[in-house]
Amino acid sequence: MRGTILRGSLSGGLEVRLDIGENIEEVKVGTFCVVEGRTHDFFSMVVDEDIEAANPKAFYETLSDNSLLNEVVRGTGIIDKVKIQPMIAIRREDGRVQPVKSIPSYLSRVREAREEDVFKIFGRPDRTHFHVGSPLDMDHIPVCIDLKKFIERSNGIFGKSGTGKTFYTRIMLCGMIKSGLCNVLVFDMHSEYGWEGEDEDETRKKAKGLKQLFGSKVAIFTLDPESSRNRGVHPDFVVEIPYRSIEAEDIVMVREELNLNPTALEVIYVLQKHLGQDWLITFLNMDAFAIEEFAERTGAHAGALQALQRKLFKLQKLPFIKENPADDAVERIMQYLDSGMNVVLEFGHQRSMLAYMLVANILTRRIHELYVKRSERALGGMQGNNTPLVIVIEEAHKFLSPELSRQTIFGMIAREMRKYNVTLLVVDQRPSGIDPEVLSQLGTKIVALLTEEKDIESVLCGVNNARMLRNVLASLDTKQQAIIMGHAVPMPVVIKTRTYDETFYKEITRDEDGAFSRGPMAGHKQAFGSPAGNYGVDELPPGKEFEDLMKELYGI
Amino acid sequence: MHTLIGEIIESRTAEFVAEAVRYDQVPAYGSFVRVMDGELRVYGIVSGAYTGSLDGMSKAKAFFKSIDELKMEQPQIFELLRTEFSCVVVGYAQDGRYHPYYPPIHLSLHLPVEKADDDEILTISQHLGFLEKTLNSPAGNGEELTAAAIRMAARFHPDPREYIVRAGRELLKMLNYDTQRLKSILERVDIA
Ligand SMILES: Nc1ncnc2c1ncn2[C@@H]1O[C@H](COP(=O)(O)OP(=O)(O)OP(=O)(O)O)[C@@H](O)[C@H]1O
Ligand SMILES: [Mg+2]
Repeated sequence: MRGTILRGSLSGGLEVRLDIGENIEEVKVGTFCVVEGRTHDFFSMVVDEDIEAANPKAFYETLSDNSLLNEVVRGTGIIDKVKIQPMIAIRREDGRVQPVKSIPSYLSRVREAREEDVFKIFGRPDRTHFHVGSPLDMDHIPVCIDLKKFIERSNGIFGKSGTGKTFYTRIMLCGMIKSGLCNVLVFDMHSEYGWEGEDEDETRKKAKGLKQLFGSKVAIFTLDPESSRNRGVHPDFVVEIPYRSIEAEDIVMVREELNLNPTALEVIYVLQKHLGQDWLITFLNMDAFAIEEFAERTGAHAGALQALQRKLFKLQKLPFIKENPADDAVERIMQYLDSGMNVVLEFGHQRSMLAYMLVANILTRRIHELYVKRSERALGGMQGNNTPLVIVIEEAHKFLSPELSRQTIFGMIAREMRKYNVTLLVVDQRPSGIDPEVLSQLGTKIVALLTEEKDIESVLCGVNNARMLRNVLASLDTKQQAIIMGHAVPMPVVIKTRTYDETFYKEITRDEDGAFSRGPMAGHKQAFGSPAGNYGVDELPPGKEFEDLMKELYGI
Repeated sequence: MHTLIGEIIESRTAEFVAEAVRYDQVPAYGSFVRVMDGELRVYGIVSGAYTGSLDGMSKAKAFFKSIDELKMEQPQIFELLRTEFSCVVVGYAQDGRYHPYYPPIHLSLHLPVEKADDDEILTISQHLGFLEKTLNSPAGNGEELTAAAIRMAARFHPDPREYIVRAGRELLKMLNYDTQRLKSILERVDIA
């Protein structure tokens, strides 16, 4: 793509007249291009295209049977025009990167970006710059995300169903784990991140999970040990949730799943107030007489109590909720995280929204509390493990809907940014269901194809030049194309994402710069036996050895 | 080898008129001619021709015979005929450099008019500015003349079609992007 600046404005973008002989059909929306102004290079994105006639009559008077006339008129009387949006400027004199505060002068030359431009803007791949894909039509050139910036804020991965969200999430998780900059905790609803996932691709069929790639760096927790074992996964820990850890807030969160009305919710608060921490199990065990008595004592409506009890019986059907669990899942998660490991919690067959939201909410609330305490201690000058934690949740609109996001822990985390070293990576196919305020707080968004107008609207909310990016978003390929925008990239960019295949596995498990030996793990590398990457299913899972390590570290 | 084709009998800045050497030998419409005037070689494009009686007053008369019969029977009438042709000035060369605009002084009378050489035509027609002059020819036949000139010039270019396209693009701008007029001109530039 070659052309010259024809006209434009700072607010409305620039129009580029393609050179005669250039083929507009080859210029894709989303293309990364460069305007060579007099003193600045403007790095831009193609956002729209059209055909313009210097004199509109030309459209009607040019005849298709006069090839000579058409050849003359094309490019002179009727021009192919590309609209571009400058995103960032670099002053050539000193290489300073600046936001766009001016436009390139008339007739500035426009060209496609080259390898060195991509590196100049996105950096070269290294420990903290993670290669996520390539610009359109620049297949072998890596675009990097700045992982340090990425984990500073909560982030989102969006796209219609089947566009590759799970795969992008895997790729980002690999990048984060490999960098060692943070720990991750994945609430893995469909059990596809831990050991293995499906791949629609005919030849690949399966996608490796984190444990297969990172071995001892990853622990698999499960809510459904049977399902895990049936899939050939050796879980490191079976999670059970005690009744007493379920709070009113957790029930409010799943009120739709339990079909609770506002009165019922009020009753729950009354119950918690009067019955204390064991409110739920006490309430579920009440008989009709006890309910009557409780109603009399507290002034609550007996009928409402009975109705509520019936609905809450649903919780008893969740096998992982126990009166007296053998072990405390939160403590375990924290131990694993503190030893530099990453945790994937698979739900197995417990993938109802009810189970997912309940568990994610309960665990996250307590983990967050611990991180808050830690940060406060760190502020007070006390040493401690302060590695940031990234929590991955799917179906995020359920947790972060406008009605809930103010009350729930997830809304809080998304809003408070990195204050306490905990951030979210939210994965969702319906971003319009997420509280706009939360969306606008997200640092970096990786967005695959969206077709619903309101979804497009909502992911672009709070983004500069949002209007311009609409077309780009709506014209992404259905797979392996995404636009990345926000905090961790200097400018929005459309990429063809890396393919998650053998080549990727090889690259991600290559130990280039000691990224694998960090923190408490360093000294124990030996103890974990085989290096990351070649964990066979037949081999002993790391759980066993890990327990020994735990004993060493924590004396448990 | 210079081929004399006429002598200037009327001269203006933008245009000159020459009398043909013989009444029946006229340069082709739209062809390129050259006039040497001291240091300058001035170039023009033939923009029209006229044949009439020698004195310019009396009119030729119809005989209703074939030309061959007339030449046999009435040879004297041909002695009384003269042909003049007009040319638009398109530029000049001086010290081996071509300038695509009018020379500083209009041409003197009685200077000989010659056909331009092939390589001169190539040079002149590279500068598409001549189209402006043909388009605004004082004779009012601008489109016709422009088409003829392009036709003539294209032959001297290695890729005639490419040349015509290039000339067409220039023309379109001069025509203020009026594709209708461009079309009517290009239709007269038939390249085989
Ligand atoms: N980066 C990638 N590398 C390899 N294959 C990919 C990639 N991205 C997408 N795909 C292909 O697209 C298919 C669908 O991707 P994925 O399961 O991630 O979609 P999704 O957005 O998570 O869908 P859903 O909303 O249904 O969960 C994958 O099975 C895979 O074949
Ligand atoms: Mg998915």
